[in-house]
Amino acid sequence: MKICQVERPLVSTNRIAMMEHKLLQVVKDGSSKAVAVDAVGAKPGDWVICVGSSAAREAAGSKGYPSDLTIVGIIDHWPPETEAQEDADSQG
Amino acid sequence: MQILKVEGSLTCTSRIDGLKYSVFRVLTDLSGKKQVATDPVGAKPGNWVYVVSGSAARYAAGDFEILTDLTIGGIIDFWSDDDMKVESVV
Repeated sequence: MKICQVERPLVSTNRIAMMEHKLLQVVKDGSSKAVAVDAVGAKPGDWVICVGSSAAREAAGSKGYPSDLTIVGIIDHWPPETEAQEDADSQG
Repeated sequence: MQILKVEGSLTCTSRIDGLKYSVFRVLTDLSGKKQVATDPVGAKPGNWVYVVSGSAARYAAGDFEILTDLTIGGIIDFWSDDDMKVESVV
């Protein structure tokens, strides 16, 4: 599973009907951008976990849902190296 | 799901039955790599689209028997070449 950062929602009115009304997000995966179905409701700037291949279909809704990348979780603390700084902020 | 640009159509009359009635589009990314995808939405050259790959592409094509591994999922409303660049947001 990949760790990506959500950039912004993707608007695509002219899309295949099987995608229904699920929210699509533009996610940054290292140096490339991709589109993921959002199953948890992440907001721009969130660090999230994305699952691919056949698991992405079930995570997005049903076995037949046409997705090959789905956001399955929002990470609480990421990236870790700023952990100390975050703790300092929370205590400060 | 990748974001690619539609370059044009591709006709392929002699092909296997498994592809049935699907329409082909040639897609490119900014590095020039070309791929072919089936198109259930009717994208035009110059449109930016997102594509579904792998086994999900067969569901996206509308009929699981269609033997494709890349299908256009939809045409993106607001997108351009410079949206593809990734600026590092800390």
